[in-house]
Amino acid sequence: MAQTAGIQAEEKALIRAAQEGDQDAFGQLVRAYDKSVLRLAMNLLRSPEDAQDVYQEAFLRVYRNLNSFRFDCSFHTWLYRIVTNLCLDHMRKRKVRREGSSQIEGSDGPVDRMDTFQESRADGDPQRSLFSGELRQGIKKALSELTVRERMVFELRHYQGMKLRDIGETLGTTEEAAKNCLFRATQKMRVALGDFV
Amino acid sequence: MNSCEKVRTQLAMLLYGELSFDEEEAVDRHLEGCAECRTALEQQRQLHLAFDQVEVEPPASLLWESRQRLQQQVAEERPPISSRRGWWDQLIDSLTLRPSGNGGWLKTAGALALLTIGFVGARMAPNLGPQISGMSLADAGAQRVRSVGPAANGGIQIVLDETRQRVVSGQLDDQNIQVLLLSAAKDPFDPGLRYETVGILNDRAQTSEVRDTLIYALEHDENAGVRLKAMDGLRPFVTQPEVRKALTGVLLSDGNPGMRTQAIDLLTQGLGESTNSLPGKALDLDRDIIGTLQELMNSENNAYVRQRGQRVLQLVNASAETY
Repeated sequence: MAQTAGIQAEEKALIRAAQEGDQDAFGQLVRAYDKSVLRLAMNLLRSPEDAQDVYQEAFLRVYRNLNSFRFDCSFHTWLYRIVTNLCLDHMRKRKVRREGSSQIEGSDGPVDRMDTFQESRADGDPQRSLFSGELRQGIKKALSELTVRERMVFELRHYQGMKLRDIGETLGTTEEAAKNCLFRATQKMRVALGDFV
Repeated sequence: MNSCEKVRTQLAMLLYGELSFDEEEAVDRHLEGCAECRTALEQQRQLHLAFDQVEVEPPASLLWESRQRLQQQVAEERPPISSRRGWWDQLIDSLTLRPSGNGGWLKTAGALALLTIGFVGARMAPNLGPQISGMSLADAGAQRVRSVGPAANGGIQIVLDETRQRVVSGQLDDQNIQVLLLSAAKDPFDPGLRYETVGILNDRAQTSEVRDTLIYALEHDENAGVRLKAMDGLRPFVTQPEVRKALTGVLLSDGNPGMRTQAIDLLTQGLGESTNSLPGKALDLDRDIIGTLQELMNSENNAYVRQRGQRVLQLVNASAETY
């Protein structure tokens, strides 16, 4: 607890320094969060280019508006509010354009270009042997069939490890609404993937 | 007592620790007496483990590129974060001749301030070391003024950006070292640095990220020595589709005949042996390469490269024309 308080105080000092124009402090803030921001955008949008666009836009908005940050919420919540809004915009536009798939045409038919990126927890995991390519495709399909909001809540809960209370705060809704969203998402995933396990 | 059907819908939330105290209590009590639901819980746990496997980790190079782009954009946006436009900000604008709606008097004030900074700077110079002494703001050389502001003691505080060297050491497996190496391999100004770096990365080409960098060097580096070095590193991975694709690109568009010859050798290595042992399969596998070689024969001017290409085509009984 003392350590968490120490980290929070350190972050607060960094934010204040960045607000006063200290570029190095701003750089440190970016580096503290940017990997998880890029991972979130990449997994939600399944396109490195779109993920990079979200990364740039999000941190530029932080840079331009940091002075209006009044510590009413945590910096993480404030940053993720920006990032999730940008991702939701991308995902909604994509749904409208029906471009949800990250598939490209390969020499042996369509392939998912995200398959060329390293999947984070695959190596050295004893469960890997239980994991089939078929199940992997099934999960990707099931994820792509969730609504944009369900997909977002599932991503934040399962992959980012955020609690529903924080998810609600980030997405500008209640914990209860986030819980309902996660509930629907997990039910859909269970129905879609029930035969695999 | 909860019904099995209801409990099944709550298992995922149970694993996430997102059930209320009462809900969790009821599910736990049900699970104690229901073997089928305990099995379902185990299945749900397996499913959660499987979810983890589809998470994509952004490559370090993408993170590095993103940071670089952001840094550039932020630099273009300066003055930054503070939206407060006090007298100091306006004075700075006038010093740097940024557009300002406040008329010419500020420029005069700016010029006066420049004299003041010069005066204070000269007084401070002995403490700043010889490299600062005599430096004017307009000619900072390897130093650049990042910002100026009032100091606590009533003087002026100037933040300088200085180019300085720093020694970083670590193992090749260290992510920070790798990020630096991947960046050095693309350094736009120093082919010697790129050559050395690619040589080091060649030992780590088993990771896809390093291979991507080597492929990038093979396809884009303007220096043939660096491209050749990158090709060396990719040699053990010649069966990988992305490496074959890059080599095919070299064959058709690299301006250096030595590179094209090496590409032919790599793409067709072992072709003779495999043709003898598994004729149908070998020909099938290399049909794309045969097509590329035939395409090369249509445009290749270098006699030696033509000869190498023709020899391979004869080996697989293919004509030297595009089909």
